Amino acid sequence: MGLSEHIVMRELDIPDIADFEVYRRHGGWEAYRYALTEKTPADIVQMVKDSGLRGRGGAGFPTGIKWGFLPKGVYPRYLLCNCDESEPGTFNNHQIIDRNPHQLIEGVALSAYAIEANTAYIYMRGEFAAAARALEQAIAQAYAAGFLGKNILGTGFDLDIYIHRGAGAYICGEETALMESLEGKIGQPRLKPPFPAVAGLYGKPTIINNVETLANVPRIVEKGVAWYRSHGTEKSPGTKCFSLSGHVNRPGNYELPFGVPLRELIESPEYGGGMKGGRPVKIIIPGGASAPWLTADHLDVPLDYESIAAAGSMLGSGAVIVLNDTVSAPHLAYKMDEFFKHESCGKCTPCREGTHWLVRTLHRMVEDGHATAADIDTLHSIYRQMAGNCFCLLGESAVMPIKSALQLFPSEFEALVKRSGKSNGHHIPLVAHH
Amino acid sequence: MKLLETHRAEIETIVARYASKRSAVLPLLYLAQDTYGYLTDEAIREVATILELPPTDVYEVVGFYTLFYNRPVGTWVLQVCDDVPCCYCGAEELIAALKQTLGISEDETTPDGMFTLQRVKCLAACDRAPVLQANLDYVYDVTPDRVQTLLNDLRARAAEARKRGVSGRFAEDYEFTRDGRLVQIERFAPYRPREFVIEPPAPVSSPPPSVVPEADAGLDRADTRKASPL
Ligand SMILES: Cc1cc2nc3c(=O)[nH]c(=O)nc-3n(C[C@H](O)[C@H](O)[C@H](O)COP(=O)(O)O)c2cc1C
Ligand code: SF4
Ligand code: FES
Repeated sequence: MGLSEHIVMRELDIPDIADFEVYRRHGGWEAYRYALTEKTPADIVQMVKDSGLRGRGGAGFPTGIKWGFLPKGVYPRYLLCNCDESEPGTFNNHQIIDRNPHQLIEGVALSAYAIEANTAYIYMRGEFAAAARALEQAIAQAYAAGFLGKNILGTGFDLDIYIHRGAGAYICGEETALMESLEGKIGQPRLKPPFPAVAGLYGKPTIINNVETLANVPRIVEKGVAWYRSHGTEKSPGTKCFSLSGHVNRPGNYELPFGVPLRELIESPEYGGGMKGGRPVKIIIPGGASAPWLTADHLDVPLDYESIAAAGSMLGSGAVIVLNDTVSAPHLAYKMDEFFKHESCGKCTPCREGTHWLVRTLHRMVEDGHATAADIDTLHSIYRQMAGNCFCLLGESAVMPIKSALQLFPSEFEALVKRSGKSNGHHIPLVAHH
Repeated sequence: MKLLETHRAEIETIVARYASKRSAVLPLLYLAQDTYGYLTDEAIREVATILELPPTDVYEVVGFYTLFYNRPVGTWVLQVCDDVPCCYCGAEELIAALKQTLGISEDETTPDGMFTLQRVKCLAACDRAPVLQANLDYVYDVTPDRVQTLLNDLRARAAEARKRGVSGRFAEDYEFTRDGRLVQIERFAPYRPREFVIEPPAPVSSPPPSVVPEADAGLDRADTRKASPL
């Protein structure tokens, strides 16, 4: 079920597409020229709506519909490209900016035209330092070719694109925290509503989209809605750049139409190439750290938003982490929640305290080897108090690893307790005495 | 006013990108960090003055973001990803090798001031595990046997003053080739698909290797216990 032609990862078809001239020769920037000279912004919004393009940043929200939320006649508007990419297991934005940067920039420019924004920021995680430098160069080439700047192509449209580097904070990928960060503040999420489309950056109407989402836009405009919709499923049209990692033979990004079964991604010799050493699949996390876990029973689930949701998880950012039978479920929950604890912005109590207590309890059980039966109840109690009570989705996501581990592998927690009882008769208090 | 003296034009360009001066705080802190070596009080106050902000606001920002250092760090800050999935793909072995070779623990700096070692969360390069950043230069596929090559190269770059500031303003990415050479990744170079070494299936009966604590961990781990996370 491979692609005859890639929509986003076109470096596989055209290896030197990162070169500006090569990108141009393959039709690069023509969709933008066509849009600016022959289409109105509303036409482009309609096209993106009709294409069924859904946001690739995690929620899968239809992009054209989001763009339609902008209040009429309110300017200036901003376009933000979310390249914070910090969710464990997610690395496709990284490849897009490294390997097909001009398509992203054209996508940003086209989308800015569609939503009538004259300024766009690409917010990149601070660690993408070399990539940010390269992208600066690519943007400079677009200016030099007359695609950015003032009165572009004589149409009267002005557009500036700037790169803004974050400085190490996963939470800044959350759209409102990103805006706070871009305004020079600490990255703590804002209360919604108002939604960014109404009041975003500097309180102005703002659209924020993921790198992969925006990289799709030039192809939709160039090749048309019908062509685009001929990929993927009715409700999840197009392709997804799946980031496959863990114990597979061939970890990497694979662009596949939505709806490909997990098994094909993991086992096909063109993609995952099967499990390292032939070991069995134990845990599959299909959508980055925030997604509930699946197991080998789910290998035949198709990779699209609806099917993964029906299987009890979420497609999220399309980061598929596959782990084998050497991995202990409590340890995995510990590592995952350590991530969320590390990244909690500290604004709300259920997340700040909940992740803290989850990690402390799990650390003692898993790393120190002191576990009691009461700890299992404590873990249940902590995540239940967090669920539904956190200010943003980071805290809600932190519930998933521990909840999944306890539901899918209860015996491993019981074994921790049993072993601990044998090795150590007394209970180590949760609160350390210093 | 070291920062303003040395980077006035660049600062003006940065500030002009935003509708509010305050937005320039992260880029200016990066610049200040490279100019002063780390974010000294003087550096932080200078950024506050330039952006007309109360110094406390800038201190708060410095404290929130992990890539800002308000105390001295080594010439090279080595940040190893220990997140999922890297921790199951050789990250712990890499960290152990670095600790042993450098003779330091996490969050310490070697006595010669050359290397600071840190654990960090996912670097968005999980397919290239084990992975680290050296002053935000990516280095992919750093298996423990390649640590010495990497450290030698970094020392040589420091000696030739080819080291770049800790803020990544001149970052380049590197990778280890399959035959163990450390090479700089050429920007905009033609894409080449990766070659993989496929691990042959192990005999079915072999028990799972204990890469990570099994459910019965703890028993024999008491002496290798890690410090409590707090
Ligand atoms: C904690 C957290 C982290 C997030 N990180 C990212 C990220 O790194 N990149 C991203 O595109 N979206 C991220 N999101 C989702 C964004 O808030 C937002 O929904 C997305 O950028 C919208 O783009 P899309 O409609 O194109 O998907 C994150 C959300 C949360 C709650
Ligand atoms: S849920 Fe966590 S990350 Fe989100 S606002 Fe609360 S403390 Fe911050
Ligand atoms: S987990 Fe290490 S780079 Fe993603």
